[in-house]
Amino acid sequence: MIENPQDRLPGRREVVRVRNLAKSFGENTVLSDVNLTVLEGTVTAMIGPSGAGKSTVLRCMNLLERPDSGTIEIDGHVIDAERRFSNRELFALRRSAGMVFQHFNLFPHMTVLRNVSLPQQRVLGRSKGEADERAMALLTRMGLADKGEQYPNRCSGGQQQRIAIARALALDPKVMLFDEPTSALDPEVGLEVLEVMKELAASGMTMIVVTHEMSFARSVSEDLIVMADGGIIEQGDPKRIMAEPSHPRTQEFLRAVLQR
Amino acid sequence: MLLTVLAGIPLTISVTAVALVIGTIGSLPLLFGILSGNRLVWLIARGIIDLCRGIPIVVWMFILFYGVTIGGTKLSAFGAAVLGLGIVSAAYLAEIFRGAISSVAAGQYEAARALGMTPRAVWGDIVGPQAWRVAIPGYTTYGIGLLKDSSIASTIGVAEMVFRSNSYARTTGEGITVFLVAAAIYVIVSVPVGVLSRKADEKLSAVVAR
Ligand SMILES: Nc1ncnc2c1ncn2[C@@H]1O[C@H](COP(=O)(O)OP(=O)(O)OP(=O)(O)O)[C@@H](O)[C@H]1O
Ligand SMILES: [Mg+2]
Repeated sequence: MIENPQDRLPGRREVVRVRNLAKSFGENTVLSDVNLTVLEGTVTAMIGPSGAGKSTVLRCMNLLERPDSGTIEIDGHVIDAERRFSNRELFALRRSAGMVFQHFNLFPHMTVLRNVSLPQQRVLGRSKGEADERAMALLTRMGLADKGEQYPNRCSGGQQQRIAIARALALDPKVMLFDEPTSALDPEVGLEVLEVMKELAASGMTMIVVTHEMSFARSVSEDLIVMADGGIIEQGDPKRIMAEPSHPRTQEFLRAVLQR
Repeated sequence: MLLTVLAGIPLTISVTAVALVIGTIGSLPLLFGILSGNRLVWLIARGIIDLCRGIPIVVWMFILFYGVTIGGTKLSAFGAAVLGLGIVSAAYLAEIFRGAISSVAAGQYEAARALGMTPRAVWGDIVGPQAWRVAIPGYTTYGIGLLKDSSIASTIGVAEMVFRSNSYARTTGEGITVFLVAAAIYVIVSVPVGVLSRKADEKLSAVVAR
């Protein structure tokens, strides 16, 4: 069953619209006709078995992967995959979405502070002073005020992921995309990252979170998307879906993850 | 005798340095070529690299010295020497740099692009500096090799250390000592370069150690 979030949560602006998204790698069709809408200030969790295409949806949303067809709209920036688009449009779209990866992908040759401040200078044209100040404020918010002069590889996984979140937030994105942000972390270290994400959600950030953390999906997200075989098979109230999944594939998947 | 050999040092060093500059600059277009997604561009760059590397340095020097005239004038011995060494260096350095660039994790490009960085910032701030760190040991090793290969320039009459040692040996008849002195000087010049490079490498990898 697919419920539109607009029907359940009326009166919110649609910040993300993905329409008819399709993507193949060679012969392998990875996504077909994916449609999704994300409302401002909401957290959308995305779950589904490995290979379902969850990462590919996120990567298409900021054009890390070029879709074969479909349109992506984030905060008014529209890109139609089948039309030519300028670099300006591409960078505008990417600026409006911040992305956090499973393996953090911090820049190992820069200090933690530079990791967060350099993109601000290069992407937003902020001065170094301004960028450093903003970086310091965000690191403090992430509980990492004392890590500024360290190098990323001297930080724990949980700290690295929080630095990566700060780096993305520093560019003032409209939406944050998380691709399994805690999968590479020990459970208790993952908790500190989930705490930061909860705080971010409470502050009103619009978020799309691909995750295997069912308790996060149930308690924090307002909308749940279940993907399988390159498509969205179920969408709606997380508590409803977890209690009574309508699609047999969802039932099977939930049984498998909840038994662990 | 020592003075004779020492008098060759400036030319040894300048042949090496100029050839290294030519090689480094020349390696860049080749590097773009072999990193290019365009099949034809890749093939051309690949071909040039294999050709440049395939011909021995001494043959390059002879071709350039005896065979090339620019506007009616022949290349000087120095010009032919640095160009010959530079051409071969460009091909080797392009390979060294390509290896260093491919050692940078794909996640680095992705993170930089996802942040909205332009290609210029992706290369200049993220991939370039990381690749350069990886390339330093290979680059200095190549530079030290080039210092020794600069002696090939003696074959076309560039009066660097080996050339001077050789003529000294011929005129005086005492061969072995003068070449031992030359050997010692090569070692004395190259050891500090190697030490510096290792220091730099250790310092950089201590910082970003995984
Ligand atoms: N760059 C690529 N080249 C070829 N095939 C790819 C590429 N990226 C993804 N795929 C394929 O696309 C399919 C979907 O991959 P995707 O990473 O989106 O799945 P996922 O739902 O994120 O899975 P997981 O939970 O394992 O992360 C898989 O079959 C994968 O092999
Ligand atoms: Mg994935």
